[in-house]
Amino acid sequence: MAHRARGLDPEPFRVILGIETSCDDTCAAIVTAGGEVRANVISSQGVHDRYGGVVPEIASRHHLELIGAVIDDAFARAEITPEELDLVAVTQGPGLVGALLVGVATAKALAAAYELPLAPVDHLHGHVAATFLAPDPFEPPFLALIASGGHTLLAYVRDEGPAFEVLGQTLDDAAGEAFDKGARLLGLGYPGGAALERLAREGHPDTFSFPTASRVQGLDFSFAGLKTALLYRLRELSEQEVERQRADLAASYQRAIVEALFGKVRRALSETGLDRLALGGGVAANGALRERFQELGVELAVPARELCTDNAAMIASAARFRDPLPYPDYLELDVYATGERTLAAR
Amino acid sequence: MRILGLDTATRATSVAMIEDGPPPRELEARDDPPPGARPRHAMRLLALAAEVLDEAAVGWPEVDLIAVGVGPGTFTGLRIGVATARALARARGIPLTGVSTLHSLALNASRDGQRRDDVEVIIAVLDARRGEAFAAAWRQDEIARTGSPGTPLMAPAVYTPRALAARVGGLHAASMAIGDGALAFREVLERQGTFIPEDHSELHRVTAINHCRLARGLRGGAPDEVLPVYLRVPDAEISRRAAAQ
Ligand SMILES: [Zn+2]
Repeated sequence: MAHRARGLDPEPFRVILGIETSCDDTCAAIVTAGGEVRANVISSQGVHDRYGGVVPEIASRHHLELIGAVIDDAFARAEITPEELDLVAVTQGPGLVGALLVGVATAKALAAAYELPLAPVDHLHGHVAATFLAPDPFEPPFLALIASGGHTLLAYVRDEGPAFEVLGQTLDDAAGEAFDKGARLLGLGYPGGAALERLAREGHPDTFSFPTASRVQGLDFSFAGLKTALLYRLRELSEQEVERQRADLAASYQRAIVEALFGKVRRALSETGLDRLALGGGVAANGALRERFQELGVELAVPARELCTDNAAMIASAARFRDPLPYPDYLELDVYATGERTLAAR
Repeated sequence: MRILGLDTATRATSVAMIEDGPPPRELEARDDPPPGARPRHAMRLLALAAEVLDEAAVGWPEVDLIAVGVGPGTFTGLRIGVATARALARARGIPLTGVSTLHSLALNASRDGQRRDDVEVIIAVLDARRGEAFAAAWRQDEIARTGSPGTPLMAPAVYTPRALAARVGGLHAASMAIGDGALAFREVLERQGTFIPEDHSELHRVTAINHCRLARGLRGGAPDEVLPVYLRVPDAEISRRAAAQ
């Protein structure tokens, strides 16, 4: 609970700049110690669509081109000057190394220039910490499902601090990746998760039966088989049948993803005895998923869409609940590509 | 005038500062990873810069100009250098200028005490990996001209060994090649009659002190105008263009 006390204390970090560049969104945000989001700037690069996926080198180049303007914009929208900053927070990992390095190099230099403290934040803890933001902070303990194009994670969150217990993870594709891959197979382009959701609204989800990987051990997830099942189904059908049933295929496919997530969440709730659930990540914006999770009958927290997808406000939020590194202890800070380092199991 | 120089284009991490006198001072700090080890730009750059500032007993606001190496060089290294320089400049309102890493390297050979009267042309060559080189060439007596090295005889570009040999052969001038790329392509270059100093010569090292020397007299500009000079498009873009044809 020591973390909680520090989080609510308006001193010593009143104004926090958050920076997030772990994938293809260049993000900067200004958040107060009380969790008020004063600015949340997200520059989606959009250039990756033509490559059919995020290209690390291209993402890194764009981050460098955009980061200065994105930070300026955050200060302007928050109506504060850099001199008023008390703390800089930055995503240290996991993510694309080249992309992370642009954010971390920028954050370190910015903090060092003012001799401010710096808080390195784990990206996944950031997603969890999105729920701690004002005006309706969701209080631990709760179960968190973080599902996006990059991760699928089930965690037991005991307090606002950086450590949480990982209960389950995807063994292959992330849930958002499954959406995008399915969308591509259905000819909806890339990234097609949102287009698939729109198309699914016109279809019947019980037309086709797709696997929900319910046989995967414990609370882990698997989505690779689902994509393959859709591919085989599309091969079985004639062109005209695919055309006629595209919406049904989308609806059935979407249901399989939602059910895979739903099944493991229900099981995790019963195993842990928790009756509160927080959703995060881009997939949490999916309407069918939100609807289905309402049926659990537990207290449900789903941050606004711009706080579910990758953003820097969540990084600044996470920084409120950890001890930052004082100047100059962070000058040699490096990034990490995978998350095992900080996701402490308890 | 107090200029801070940063370079992360090669495997080394190099930081330097020059101060006009009296007495004039030159400070330098660098990190050379051992052979086979990964570059340590991310970890060492800002720490070395802080060390140099400490040694000079000055704070960030007392830096008048930052000169950062914009490449060509390793993509990730360049971004660490440019991102760091831009953020420092932005925070403290310090003018920023980009320096060609090849031009800075070439300056090694035209400094007092290093000049060779039998050489007309200096070829700066960096190892671009994948069997290729980044290279550029200038007339020896034009390199040290602050801010404007004259029109290069070979504009900075990426070369295959065969293209490099053809280009160097076509210079028809007594030349010297320096840089880690000159070592990597020693045979190719020597066959064209180019002189290359021995492997351990200091002339092959990119050093931020030269960035400072070249930046002297430059005004610098807005931080966001400085971007890396990659000289290569990303692989994914090459494949995409190939597929589109
Ligand atoms: Zn994310």
